[in-house]
Amino acid sequence: MVNAGFYLKRFYTIVRGEVLVLPSRIIVALFFIILLGLPLVSQNPYLIRVVILTSIFAILAASWDLLSGFTGQMNFGHALFFGVGAYTSALLNIHLQISPWGGVPLGAVAAVLAGLIVGIPCLRLKGTYLALTTMAFPIILMGIVFALPDLTGGELGISGLRRLSNSLLGNYYIHVVAMLTLCTIMWKITDSHTGIIFHAIREDELAVRASGINTTRYKLLAFCLSGLFAGLSGGLYAHYMRIAGPSTLEVSMSFSVVIWAVFGGLATIYGPVAAVFILFPLLEFVRFWPEYRALIFAVIVLIILLYMPEGLIHWVRDKIEKECPRCKIRNVATRNTCRICTAALD
Amino acid sequence: MAVPFLEVEALTKSFGGLRAVDNVHFRMEQKEIVGLIGPNGAGKTTLLRLLTGILKPDSGSVRFKGKQIIGMKTWDIVNLGVACTFQNMRPFRRLPIIANVMVSCLSPRAMKRGEWVKVVEAKAMDALEFAGISDMALEKASTLSQGDLKRLEVARAVATEPDLLLLDEPFGGLSPAETDLMAKSIRRLHKGGRFGRLHSEGPAMIIVEHKLQQLMKIVDRIIVLNFGTLLAEGTPEEVVNNPRVIEAYLGQGGGQ
Repeated sequence: MVNAGFYLKRFYTIVRGEVLVLPSRIIVALFFIILLGLPLVSQNPYLIRVVILTSIFAILAASWDLLSGFTGQMNFGHALFFGVGAYTSALLNIHLQISPWGGVPLGAVAAVLAGLIVGIPCLRLKGTYLALTTMAFPIILMGIVFALPDLTGGELGISGLRRLSNSLLGNYYIHVVAMLTLCTIMWKITDSHTGIIFHAIREDELAVRASGINTTRYKLLAFCLSGLFAGLSGGLYAHYMRIAGPSTLEVSMSFSVVIWAVFGGLATIYGPVAAVFILFPLLEFVRFWPEYRALIFAVIVLIILLYMPEGLIHWVRDKIEKECPRCKIRNVATRNTCRICTAALD
Repeated sequence: MAVPFLEVEALTKSFGGLRAVDNVHFRMEQKEIVGLIGPNGAGKTTLLRLLTGILKPDSGSVRFKGKQIIGMKTWDIVNLGVACTFQNMRPFRRLPIIANVMVSCLSPRAMKRGEWVKVVEAKAMDALEFAGISDMALEKASTLSQGDLKRLEVARAVATEPDLLLLDEPFGGLSPAETDLMAKSIRRLHKGGRFGRLHSEGPAMIIVEHKLQQLMKIVDRIIVLNFGTLLAEGTPEEVVNNPRVIEAYLGQGGGQ
């Protein structure tokens, strides 16, 4: 008992020193706690379903950010990875009876290959040309899907897939924990040395080459990593909805991802996640007003982008936190002096 | 016969009808500092870019330590030990200065030198210390002044621990005091030694510069380019007194 008390106290000290000092960290901690504790409060199937879908799309939006936000390789065809992940795991499940637990990772592997297939021809392209080229790939795949209706089900898609778990709570925790883990992994990747190189490639690719970094390798790595996570989310989506249809490859899917990421704030990972958690439920809850849904969505996004061009998260973060001019440590906006170096905050 | 350190032969590069670099030959010894001068548009920057593989030449060969580097990728050339700075500085503007240098420290060449240099942050800091901008390490690169950007360029090139350093106008846009500091840094680097975790074996250098007075104090030898061709080559005194060089700079009869 004494030991438990000791560790509890120590845990509290760490939490107080590392988490409670910054409002953004408190928000992240609350986000984890609320998501993991939600079923204790409500087990409304509709609510659970919305949160699960939100989690799946949060992975997708974050994976787009990993590629396009960080390395600046504008990918307007992100639905390709989503669709490849969904279709691969669906085909494996229906035709080969592979369980979703094997099918989803295999779908992700297929999406990595798709990342390579898209990435290699796109290495020499930049900006608009890259965006247009990448946009073509999901359309091509959609053509293939329609051309092989026996295998892919054509317009109807592949239905009757098995779910990852048969219970409501099981499904909820699988998807939410997957989302939290995968997004944390993505955030860690971008926080590492590799992340610095990704940032640098976005800023000036030629200068990165002149620093002795093989940019081809890192750009392909970004395509593959992005494909991996998007493929996982595609597989999860297919098995949760129990259908993999051509809607996963639609252009609107690619653009929703872009809108989410830009709305939340590029090159942050947590920005797109937050954006999906705001926008997707919002869209669900105005469902009773279907004809104005897209309009409301557009108006909200436009207003946000007009007044917060860097994205919602950056704006909120600048409101609640200040950066110390001397040591660049972030502080609560209410403080007058920096918590580390005691320099005056303006 | 010893392999020449750097051997440039018949290097030619045209942009459309303009021959930016035309049949240039020269050689360099190890640890030699060569000044590359010439009027505007003489092809100096193009020549440096050909050496680092950023541009591909139409013909000719460049051998670095006996190895043909024409046709190699820029990063492979850098990892062989050729580092360059850009005349129009190209920092990663939205990254902190230290992250700018860390990219160089993460190159295979910089990483292969033992376990203890893998503390990339510390090594990047030492490179900044060497260039004299370590006090601003956490500022965004977009907030730097011209002079500090020049120093950042130098820090970034030095962080790869090159054997051949190509400096494109290292004094451009610097105040006289800053120019002196930069000249001092260059001499210190050339002498070799340790700068914290950063190791210098005294790289050979090619310096493109318009501030000739400063340049003459540093270099062993000068190469003059004009309209892409090699105009003159020799020690600073020889070049300054060469009538063809004076003509190229000042026009016909400028020497009298």
